[in-house]
Formats: sequence, structure tokens, C-alpha cells
Amino acid sequence: MKKVTVNGQGPSGNLALRVYRNAYFRYILFGVIISLLPMLAQSGVMPSSFLVNIGSVLIYAVVAMGLNLLLGYSGLISLGTAGFMGLGAYISGYLTEAMELPFLVAVLVAIVVAALLGTLVGFVSLRVAGIYLAIATLCVSEILRKTFEELDQFTNGFSGFTAGYPILFGISLKREATFVLLTVVLVLVMMLTHNLVNGQMGRALHAMRGSEVAAQAMGINLLKYRLIVFAIATAYAALGGALYMHFVKFSYPSTWIMMFSLNILAVVVIGGLRSIYGTVIGALIVFAVPDLVLKRIPVIGKIDGIAYIFTGVLIILVIMFYPNGVVGLRQDLKRLMSKLFGKKKEGAHHV
Amino acid sequence: MSTFLQVVLRSLETGGVYALAALGIIIIFRTSNITHFAQGSMGMFNTFVVATLVTSLQLPLWAAALCGICTAIVLGCLVDFVIIRRTKKVSPVAKQIITLGLIMVFVGLAPMLFGVDPLMLPRFIDSGDLNILGATLSYNGLLNILLGFVIMLVLFYVLQKTKMGIAIRTTASNEPVARLMGVPTRNVTLFAWALAACLGCLSGVMIAPTTSVTPNVMDPVQINALIACVLGGFQTFYGPVLGAYIIAIGKNLLTLYVSSVWGEQLMYLLVLLFIVFRPQGLVGKKFIKKV
Repeated sequence: MKKVTVNGQGPSGNLALRVYRNAYFRYILFGVIISLLPMLAQSGVMPSSFLVNIGSVLIYAVVAMGLNLLLGYSGLISLGTAGFMGLGAYISGYLTEAMELPFLVAVLVAIVVAALLGTLVGFVSLRVAGIYLAIATLCVSEILRKTFEELDQFTNGFSGFTAGYPILFGISLKREATFVLLTVVLVLVMMLTHNLVNGQMGRALHAMRGSEVAAQAMGINLLKYRLIVFAIATAYAALGGALYMHFVKFSYPSTWIMMFSLNILAVVVIGGLRSIYGTVIGALIVFAVPDLVLKRIPVIGKIDGIAYIFTGVLIILVIMFYPNGVVGLRQDLKRLMSKLFGKKKEGAHHV
Repeated sequence: MSTFLQVVLRSLETGGVYALAALGIIIIFRTSNITHFAQGSMGMFNTFVVATLVTSLQLPLWAAALCGICTAIVLGCLVDFVIIRRTKKVSPVAKQIITLGLIMVFVGLAPMLFGVDPLMLPRFIDSGDLNILGATLSYNGLLNILLGFVIMLVLFYVLQKTKMGIAIRTTASNEPVARLMGVPTRNVTLFAWALAACLGCLSGVMIAPTTSVTPNVMDPVQINALIACVLGGFQTFYGPVLGAYIIAIGKNLLTLYVSSVWGEQLMYLLVLLFIVFRPQGLVGKKFIKKV
């Protein structure tokens, strides 16, 4: 588990260290560093096509954060992510393009509709568990995808729906500004998730993951937390979908298939269950490394399907040998260092 | 009446495909305690083998299909030998995610080995229609329906009567105890993975002539087979088969009589409602939660 000192009241703490230890400050610092990337692209250090890739990674990180709440913190497996994300994308796209509502209103509507639907799935999750739940959510996702295909007056069917960059308070954003907007949203989502999982709800979810019966005996309302966690996860997915619509600017029904849900699941597993930064790193590994790194390696990059194989093998290896995800790597490195140099006290840092 | 019969016959054909895939999933689930999400992808991969043999080596379809089954057996054993055996200590949810990783590996390997162009697979029997009470059914369709039934009957016979079948059922009911009783559970799971891969390959060869062979050819089969497993319940071997036929027939009838646009969604919605009210599935026993 991540150990974060919220107020940084360490015994030896000058002000700078205390500010640095503050979790919120770290999230903001993280956001600021990422939002500097467009400048890097403009000055020509980084090809500007990278911006689209990394921007999508930020969106997928938001979506995966929702799934991490479900899978990591609550132990509920969901394969419906793609459907909910598509729902968010189509709703916000339709509201801004066809009905010309403001961007913020459209996103809000998308989130609320998806969260309501998520609550319904939460009810289902009370009745069915484990693999049944995964397939039930897959069922929901399939229903949504079929609907995207058939309702072509709203979604434009197979030919795909297009939308423009968001217009915020009368200012029409460009690609770079939208990228910054994505960063802001991601940082906000990270903070929100941090608060959720470190508060009462987080403790309730931990208890429920361990044993539903024991949690109930301790007075935890299963119904309430199940519904909340599903609503939040689907709201994140819809938010991600809405951002996707306005950043990538098109959406086809064939995007929102099971494979996409699997990719998001891979993000959570590879990055590390119950880790906020891990989710972002996972998104980077699954979605950016194949496009940005693998395709540039001379011989290997030319082979078709290398990205899928890379992700697939990585998932299998991580599960077999590294069940805590890549965030566990830092702890292990620390342990290795202290073993090598042998003076730090052992085991104090890992919980 | 003739349209009704026509639709039912068609559904029996697709239902057979779903049922074969679902049987593969359930055999893996019962023996290895893993939901096999990669059943469709492995079937797709072997269908690619068959299609490549047919198109580039000009082999007759039956010979190519036999080769496909051989590669399926090898592949199934390989997956069990290399990956599944080494994951005894992994938690159940994580095990399922391994099969998700397998999907990606196979979806990536297929274009790498067989090229990105979709391939065509011929039917077993090229032409000729059968007329049953006004409904037409191609000989190939009839063959598919019969093949599905025959394979399932043989399989159920094997499961019920042979020594291997008893070993499989013992492993399915309680793996540690089966091992204590001297059942070679390792061989059982190896056999189960090979068998599931064969069933996936057969269902792929049966569905492929209706479309072209692409990495996504088995996606609908996979999804419907999973839903069939849930509908039929994971506790028995025949439940998912029943579920597969129900889904195929129900989907087509709803599309025909209720709405051509919403038929499929309606079927999934009904399945969803069904498992909310009966989580153990059609023929499953009630699962009692122990503290």
C-alpha cells in the first residue's frame, strides 16, 4: 500500500520538505511537469505528434483510475469500461455538436447519465460476484456498443461521430490548451481518488474486499458503497470518454469493444492495484510505449501486431512474477539498495 | 411457419458454434478454475492456420482442418505447460487476467505470422440446399448442425463413461482431493487445455465461411459463449451448451418478431435480468456463501 503523509508532520521537517511531502503538492507538481510538454513540443525537442499519444494516455489514466477503484480497492472485476466510455463520448459529442450546449454542461450530463447507469450495474453486483459480474458488465458493454451502431441519428453509426476541440467559457481551445485541460482533469481526478481511498470509503472498501460478511458485521452498508463505487467508476469512464471525444475528435462504435476494456484492465494490473501513480504509469506503458517506442525500433517496429504482443506478454509476466505491478519496483529497488549498502534499517518503509 | 423454421435452423447452426466454444470455456473453468477469455482468440489463431494452409498450400479443407486441430492441441498444451502450471499461487482474479493477456498475444501473433489481409475459408460442402417444410438449409449448414451435435455427444460420452472423463469430473469437483486420490490432475488440465483449443478451432472453422478470417472473427463467438456460460451456470457441463442454443435461437427470434434493430440488445438484457434473479444460472446449484 502507498504510504502518504498528508500533512508531513515528520519529526525532522523544515518547511520545504513538509511542502514536498504533501500529497496534494506532489499531484500538482506532477501536473505542472506534464503540462510543460506542449512547450517542449513547440520548441521542437519532441515531435508534436507525441502530444496526441500522451494526451490519450492521460485520458486512459482517468478511466483506469475508475477501474482501479473497482478492481483494486473493492475487488470487483468489470469489463464494461469501453461501453461506459463510449457512452460518455457520444453524449458529450452529441450535446456539443448537434444541440450546441456548452462543453461543461455536456460533460456534466455525460457523467450524470453514466453514473446513473453505473448505479444500476451496482445493483447487479450485489447479486452476482466474481466472474459472473465480469460477464454481466461485458453484457452491458455489448448492449451499449450495439446501441451505438444502431442509433445512427445520434451516433452517426459505423461512419463515426466527429466533434471539435472544447470551447471553454467562450474560448475555443487549441490542441496544446486541450492537453493542459486534460492534465488539469487528471490531477483533479487523482486528488479526488486520493481523498476517496484514504477516507472512510476507502476503509469500507478495503473491508469489503477482505470479506463481505465481516464488513457487514462491522456495520458497513454494502449496498451503499457498492453503488457509490460503481457510480464513481462509470463517472470516471464517461469523463474520460467525453475528453476523448473532444481531444481525439472522432468516435466509432468499433472503438468501444471488449479489447478496449481489456487494455484498461491491463493498465490497472501492470501499473499496480491500489496505486494512483501506478495507474498513470500503467497507462503510459500500455498505450504509449508501443506507439512511441516500439514502432521506432528499426526491425521490430515493422512487425505487425507487436504492440499487442508486448502488452499481452507484459500482463502475463507481471501477473506471474510481479503481482503488485510496476509500482512495486520502487520498493524492491529500495530494499535492494539497503541490502547492498547495508546500513539503512530493514523493512521500515514497506507496509 | 417456414420463416420461423428457417430462423430456428439457422440459429441451431450458430448455436452449435457458440456451444462448442462454451464447452471449451467450461472445461477449462472446471479443471483449472480459470475463465478462459482467450478461447475465441486461440480459435481464431488456429482458424488462421487452417485458412493459410487452404489458400497458400492448396490443401483440401478437411486436411487443413486436421492440421489446424493438431496445432490447436500443441498450442493448448503449450499454454498450460508454460503459463497455467506456474500460476498455482496466483489469486483467481489475476489468473483470469492472464487469459486476457493471452488474447493480446494471439491477436498480435496472427497478423505477424499470417499477414494483415483477411483470408477466405471455403465451406465443407460448396453448394446444394435442403428443403424442410418450406425452409431451406444448405447441406453445409446441416453438416455444421450435425457436427456440433455429434461432437457434443462424443464429449459427454467421454466425460461420463471413460476413465479420462471421470478424472476430469473428479478434478472439477475438488482438485486437491482428486490429487490426493491419485488422479493425475496435471495431465487432466493439460488434456482440458488441448481439448478446449480443439473446440475453439472447430468453432472457428465452422463460423469462418460466413465472414472472412480476421483477428476479430471470433469476437462475437467469444462474447456469446461467455454469456452462454453465465446463462447456463458454471456448475455443469451441459448448462452452457443449453445456454448457447437458447441465446442463438432467442436472439434471432427476437430480431425477427420484435425488432430488427433491438433484438440482440433485448436478448442480452433478458440474460442480464435472468442472472440478477437467478445468479447460479439455468441448471446450476445454489451457491451457498460460507463465512
